[in-house]
Amino acid sequence: MEWISERRPAEGERTMVISGCNRGIGRAIVEKFIGERYHVIACVREADDVFRGWLSELSQRENVGCAICQLDLSSEESISKAVKDIVSSKVKLDVLINNAGVVTKGLLQMTSIQSIKDTFQVNFFGHVQLTQGLIRMFIRQKGGVILNMCSVGGMDAYPAYVSYGCSKAAMIYFTKTMSQELAPYGVRVNGIAPSMTDTRMREQMGEEANEEILRRTAMKRVAEPSEVANLAYYLASSESSFITGQIVRIDGGM
Amino acid sequence: MANIEKYNQAFIETLEVTEDKLATLKYHDVEAWDSVGHMTLMAALEDAFDIMMETEDIVDFSSYEKGKEILKKYGVDL
Repeated sequence: MEWISERRPAEGERTMVISGCNRGIGRAIVEKFIGERYHVIACVREADDVFRGWLSELSQRENVGCAICQLDLSSEESISKAVKDIVSSKVKLDVLINNAGVVTKGLLQMTSIQSIKDTFQVNFFGHVQLTQGLIRMFIRQKGGVILNMCSVGGMDAYPAYVSYGCSKAAMIYFTKTMSQELAPYGVRVNGIAPSMTDTRMREQMGEEANEEILRRTAMKRVAEPSEVANLAYYLASSESSFITGQIVRIDGGM
Repeated sequence: MANIEKYNQAFIETLEVTEDKLATLKYHDVEAWDSVGHMTLMAALEDAFDIMMETEDIVDFSSYEKGKEILKKYGVDL
């Protein structure tokens, strides 16, 4: 883990860890939280110069600490190392956002078991392992918030999204179970289920899926990443102090 | 503080037991050592010895004595 700012979290200040934040919803969440004076540990598979420059600029502008932690959710070894790096940094964590994910598309009969396993590794098992490692910090400090990026795709069925949908459904159950297990330690756990959001993932889903989702959406538009980030901020804040175990849809009325 | 004192202290503070009960203490022997108390105890031990236990070891940590064996793996001699 590498701090890209001289500034470090001080006592009484808030810090969040997020996976998958070099684009899309994750990027918008980082912007929102830094704007609200959170220090950020950004876990990404690869941090290129553009990402570093962007994060460094945000960090300087808001005078918060930012660190980059290499994390490949497809590798158990990488996740273990990230956990060790974060824990040994001795930073008090307030929020963990399990955001990284991949979209895989294919009819059940044309999807290999290996492909389903690969999707689950990134969208589910990777988050479980990362969370298992980091929740000890929350337990120790008797408080914290975990947000899991779920999806309406884990609740509503769409043809050709069997592996993605099932992995997100697993995240939903994970969220609910974890909320029960961690409530005694003062840790809240919630999930966010966006529908189509204006990100690269939208492009990957193809024109047909885009049209179908718009047809089903009362507001006839897709979500902006900043709208999802605002919800994440609300669920992480004390304004939502009695909300746990919930999967909040942000879908424009589906 | 010696390692054994830190180890005992974690049990005494987390599980609210007295020192004379420690030698034979096992998971679920006292009300406070339930699953919630277990995780609190693990966090206290990790904190006290600056270690990070593997999930398998957290599951295997079934008694005061077994815990001593497990902590040895992490370089903590008791």
